[in-house]
Parts: sequence; structure tokens; C-alpha cells
Amino acid sequence: MLDVDQVSVRYSSTVTLRDVSLSLAPSRTLAVVGESGAGKSTLINAILGLVPCPTGHVTWDAKPVRKCRPALVMQEPRSAFNPRMSLRRSVKEPLRGRQLDEDRLARLCSGLEIAPDLLDRRPAEVSIGQAQRVGILRALIAAPPLVLFDEPLSALDAVTQKHTARLIAQMQREEGFAALIVTHDLGYAAAFAEEIAVLRAGRIEELTPARAFVDAPQTAYGRTLRDAAFALGAFERVA
Amino acid sequence: MRSVAGLALIFVALGVFGPMLAPVDPTQIDIPNRLSAPNPQAWLGTDAMGRDILSRLLHGARWSLGLAFLISVMGLVIGTLIGLLAALGGKVIDWIVMRTTDTFLAFPELVASVVIAGVLGASTGSLIFALTVTSWMRYARVARAIGLSLKTRGYVVQARLAGVSNLSIARWHYLPSLLPSLTVVWTGMFARAILGISTLGFLGFGVQPPMPEWGTMLLDARIHMRSTPLQMIWPGLSVVVCVLAINLAGDTLRDALAEQDHKA
Amino acid sequence: MIQIFVSLVLRAVVVLTGTALATFALLWHAPGDPALAIAMARHNAIVPTEVIDLVRAEAGLDAGFFVAFQAWIAPLLMGDFGQSSVTGRDVWPEMVTAISYTVPLALAALFIGLAISVPLALLATRSPGSWVDRGAVALASIGVAIPAFWLGLLLILLFAVQLDWLPAMGARTSAHMILPALTLGLGVAASLTRILRSSILEARDQAFLPALRRRGVIHRDIERDHVAPHAAIPFVTVLGLELAFLLEGLVVVEVIFARPGLASFLVSAIEARDFPKVQVAVLVTAVVFVVVNLLIDLAFRTLDPRIGEHDA
Repeated sequence: MLDVDQVSVRYSSTVTLRDVSLSLAPSRTLAVVGESGAGKSTLINAILGLVPCPTGHVTWDAKPVRKCRPALVMQEPRSAFNPRMSLRRSVKEPLRGRQLDEDRLARLCSGLEIAPDLLDRRPAEVSIGQAQRVGILRALIAAPPLVLFDEPLSALDAVTQKHTARLIAQMQREEGFAALIVTHDLGYAAAFAEEIAVLRAGRIEELTPARAFVDAPQTAYGRTLRDAAFALGAFERVA
Repeated sequence: MRSVAGLALIFVALGVFGPMLAPVDPTQIDIPNRLSAPNPQAWLGTDAMGRDILSRLLHGARWSLGLAFLISVMGLVIGTLIGLLAALGGKVIDWIVMRTTDTFLAFPELVASVVIAGVLGASTGSLIFALTVTSWMRYARVARAIGLSLKTRGYVVQARLAGVSNLSIARWHYLPSLLPSLTVVWTGMFARAILGISTLGFLGFGVQPPMPEWGTMLLDARIHMRSTPLQMIWPGLSVVVCVLAINLAGDTLRDALAEQDHKA
Repeated sequence: MIQIFVSLVLRAVVVLTGTALATFALLWHAPGDPALAIAMARHNAIVPTEVIDLVRAEAGLDAGFFVAFQAWIAPLLMGDFGQSSVTGRDVWPEMVTAISYTVPLALAALFIGLAISVPLALLATRSPGSWVDRGAVALASIGVAIPAFWLGLLLILLFAVQLDWLPAMGARTSAHMILPALTLGLGVAASLTRILRSSILEARDQAFLPALRRRGVIHRDIERDHVAPHAAIPFVTVLGLELAFLLEGLVVVEVIFARPGLASFLVSAIEARDFPKVQVAVLVTAVVFVVVNLLIDLAFRTLDPRIGEHDA
């Protein structure tokens, strides 16, 4: 299980994460919500070890997170692929030379509704929605126990968002990975996560089960976020 | 674009096959016929030792273009590796590499090669060494700058997360992105190498007589400027035409790449 | 700003130390025994081994690279530039004389370069793509491709040999400076024209200029307030490149025209294998080059506020 213990991150002089603690059990889903600039992307980078975090620990089953080879699904699906390589080559990258299990690839492809010949194209030759599904495929190919999603729906149009969100949930049921989803879309978070963490100015403001959060956020800031999402119709849109 | 590339090709061909086209042996001395004006036997005349100037020019193409090609390609390889090392090696290595690069740039390249070639003693070997150690810095800077900008690119982060080694990342993700810009730098450095070889030759620090090299030929021709001024025209003109063609090819390449970037 | 200044100066010091080390290493590995060279120069005869060993110990040459480097650099930092190993005379006064010949020549060449390139670039960019523009580009492209030594020889051939208008060799009168300055200046003009032209065109291409024009801001004001400052930035950086170009050109120009000066000082010292002179000439050139580039870097940062601290 993922254990984030009192992590703080500072860039030059500004603190972007302050004493953040979280935990996430296998096959469970945690959504981290917050406004832009709250430190959501930094949290992902800190968990993955892409930024040094001088204080605190991030572990998976009491070992450094990198040991479990976590995967990341990025916000911008196109730039997540080398424009000069076929998608197939990029998808095989996490296997690091190990033999590709063709059955598994076929199963994942059908689960993610990826046509087999799509993988022979280059990133510029597929739609954003297709690219994002291939991004999820690459994240899952090596069967990681933990997958991080950094605003996985933000670059997609509304219809594709809904579809992709369902596919992610379905894949999680089949594969059983723990998912940490960073999003500013409260509707998505409420519909697909079991727990919601509200991040504000680098701190965890509250950590509440998703259902309870929609009914009654524990903090004033949580209420503001929920009410704003209500006004936009976010909860009806996705669920 | 195509015409320029064609022109560049002709020059490369000239460098490779030029010597075969030469009518006579470029080192064959013929004192009775020295300093002759252009005539049916020697189309461009003969030099102070009676050697055929046209043959010397054609053989000189191999020295000037061939050596320049060798030097600029070595600079390209060395510079790219150093630049990649700086971009991938972390802060300390980056600092050391970049200050080393600055140190090599603390001196105009051509002056540095004159000093190095001169101190090591005139020979083709020290010419190659002197021009190569002063020609890798631009590639290193370009490779490092692009490399650093790629560091946070999505697919590089993904490769890193997947545990791909630095070497593979450099090979598959960095190098392909670097090549277009490095090729443009290379054309410029190729032209500079031609100028450098002829300059060192002219100063007496380069290719040694009796080998025909355009700069050395000019050095010989200079003494007889009054009697046979035409002798001085040909080697210089050869340098200018080659450098001009390569520079034009480089400009066209750069514009084509910029347009491609614009479209993408 | 002060932080940037300090870090840039520190970097210059590191670079110059590197240059001194590299030069010393080069001479250390040069073929021939430096102690023998010094001893022969001093005693002007075949010298016994003991004398050579004495010289070697004196110059710290027997104690390894870094001791020898220290023995050389320490007096240098105190202002003692040493003696020529050939003539035994102090290097510094000769150096000063050489510089006094080189600086006016370099300035004259820079002046010629600016006087040709600025009007030419302005004329060319008035109507990009016109025959004037194409002509200027073609001239500049050819100019960049002409090696300085050939241009110098051609000018000598035309003005000194054929027409007999100007003197070619030496530096006795100010007329002697015309041909060398022209040789260097034409080269500077060619590369400056290319760069100026493209930076003016790029400055005119800034996204907000059409909006200004539609708002009725007149052409002259746009050129002065928005185009000129933008075009000035690459121009300033290019001056650093031009300095490199000048120094490279000086090496051949001073040799061709048999002028005394920094570059011919360096070349003749190399030919005579007079290493103390080579070292001083190299270091002086490096100091000039690094300091001028440092000043340019600072000017650049003042002109362009977008360059942040992280680029320092």
C-alpha cells in the first residue's frame, strides 16, 4: 500500500507542499482535488520521486515507491509519446526488453477499445482521446500495483471524458491497481473515487469518503468547492 | 533546396573523385615550364616549380574538403556526446562540462588552432588535432540546451519512470530531436573547417608541401604576385566557392527545418 | 542584478584559470625540451647538461606539472610577465607596443564594418525580397565566404601592385593602415549585414505590431520604440562574435601586411618557439576576449529583461 508520510517540498524559496500525509490501499481509488496551483502536480512528482523531497517519506509496502515501478497517465496525451516512434514502441517501453505478452496486450486493447492497427501509427496520427487510451495502455502493460493519473480527462472533450472515465474504472476492476487521481473535476472525483483529499496551498485541507463529501464536506473550503461544482452541474454530468 | 543540395553533392563528389580528374601528377616538377600562363597543356598554368595548377587544385580538393569533413564530423560526435553528458548527468557534471566549454570558447577558435598547431609543430596530424579540439563547443551547447528542454517533456518523464537507462534515453529520445539542429550547426562548422585548414596552410602551420592544399598553394603563389597574379586567384576562388555552397546549403536546410517546426 | 554580476565575474575567473592551465599544458607537452631552449637562448651556444639542469630547477620544470604551473603563474599574477626565452628581454613592454598597433586597426575595422553594414541592412529591409535586398544578401553571403587572407592578397594585388595607390607592407604611416583595416572591415561588414538584416525583419514580425498600426501609431514611432530596441538585442550579442572574427582576422592580416601587433607577436613567438611570449600573448587575448564578452553579457541582460537569473 502507498504511504505518503509528512512530505514537504519547496522550490527555491516557495513551499509547494506542506506536511502532506496520505495512504492508499491496493485496488482502491483516491482522488486529490484542488484549484490550480494548489500543489497537485507537485504531489504526483513527489510521489514518483521526480522532485527531491527533503522531508518525509513516500513508500509502497515499506519500500521506496520507485521499487514498485508505478505508472503515470499524463494530462497531455500527445506529448507523453515520442513523436518519432510508433505507439507500439512507446507502449512496450515499460517492459524494458522483457517479452511482450501478446495475449495480455490484446486483452488490454479490447478493454480500452483500441483497434489493433492503431498502435502502428505515430502520436500525431491519432485523436487525443485515442492517444489517452493508449497512454492508459502503456501505464498498465507492465501490471503496476499503483497508477497515478494527472488530470487524465482535462485534455478531452465532454463525451470522450465520460467514456474514458468509465474505461479507467473498468480496467481498475479487472487489473486491481491502486489509483491516485489528481483532478480539478470534483464531479469525476466524486463519481469514481472512494476517498477525496482536498489540497489547498500545499496542505491537505480534508480527507473524506467520496459519498460523505458530496453530502457534507467537513471544511468551509470543501463546501465552497462542492457548491461551485454543483452550480456547474458537475455531479450530474459524469455520474 | 534541391539545387543547393545538388551543388553541395557536386563538391563532395569533387573532393572524392577530383584527384582522378586531374590531368597530371600534382607533384611533378617541371622547372623549364615554371610560372607558365594558361595554355593547352596546363589549362590554368604552372606554379613556381612548373607543377600543373589545375591538377594541384583538384588534388587540393581532397585535402580541403576531405579533412574539413573529417574534422567537422569528429567535432559533431565529440560535441554531441559532451552536450548529452551535460544534459543528462546532473547539476555537478553539467557545471563542470559547461565551464570547460566556456574555457574552450574563451579564445577565438581559429586563433586557438593556430597556437595549438604551431606549438605542436606543423604536420597534418597537429592540424587535425588543433581544428578538432576547437570545434566541438557549439555542438555541445546546442545538444545541452535542447537536451535540458527535453528533460521535462512527457515522453522523457515516462521513459524515466519506466526505468529506461540514461544511455537508451539519450539514444532513442534525445538524439533524434537533436539531429536537425546539429546538422545545421554542422554545415556551418564544415565551412569553418575549410576556412581553418586553408588559413593554417597559408600561415605554414597546416598541410605541408609538396602536398597540394589550397592555403599552402596561396602561400606559394603570393611570392610571385607581380609576375603571375592569376596563380593567386584559383586557390582562393576554390575556397570561396566551396564555403559559399556549403553555407547556402546550411541556410536552406535551416529554413526548411524552421518551416517544418512551424507546421508541426 | 548584483548576484548575477558576481556569478558572471566568478565564471570569467574560472574560465581564465582554465585557459591558463590549458595553455600551460599545451606548452608542457610541446615537442622539445623547454629547459634546453631557455638555456640555449641565454648562453647562445651549446650548453653543458649541468646548466640545462640548473635552468630546469630554476623554472620549476623538474618538479612536475603543477609546481611548474605555480612557478609560472605566481609572478604573473603579481604583474611580472617574464622574459623572452630567445632575447631575454622583458615580454611586457614588447606586448604593450604590439597592442598599441592592434587596437587602432581593430577599431578602424569595426568602424568600417558598421559604416557599411548598418546603412546596407536598413536599405535592404526597406522592402524585403526586392532586388536591393537580394543584392545585399548575395554580397554579404559571398563576403562571409571569402577568407581574410585571400581578400587581403587581392586588395594588395589591386591597390598596391597594379594601381600602386596604397602601401601594403609595414605600419610606418597612417596610409599603411587602410588596406589591412579594409580587409578586416569588409569581413565584419558582411557578417554584420546578415545578422542585422534578419534581426530587423524579425523585430518587424512581432505579434503586437499590426495592432499598433491599426490604432494609428505612425510608422516612424513604431520603428523607433518597438523595432529598433528588439533588433538591438541580437546586435549586441553579435558584437561578441565580431570580436572573435576580428581577432581571427588579425592573425592573418597582420602577417600578410607585415604589421607589428598582437597577432603577429603571437605568430612570430610561436615560430621562434619563444614560449614565455606565447603564454603572455595567449593570456592577454583571452582576458580581452572574456572581459568584452562579460560586458556584452551584462549589457544584454540590461536590454532584455526576459533573461532571468536562472540563465546566469
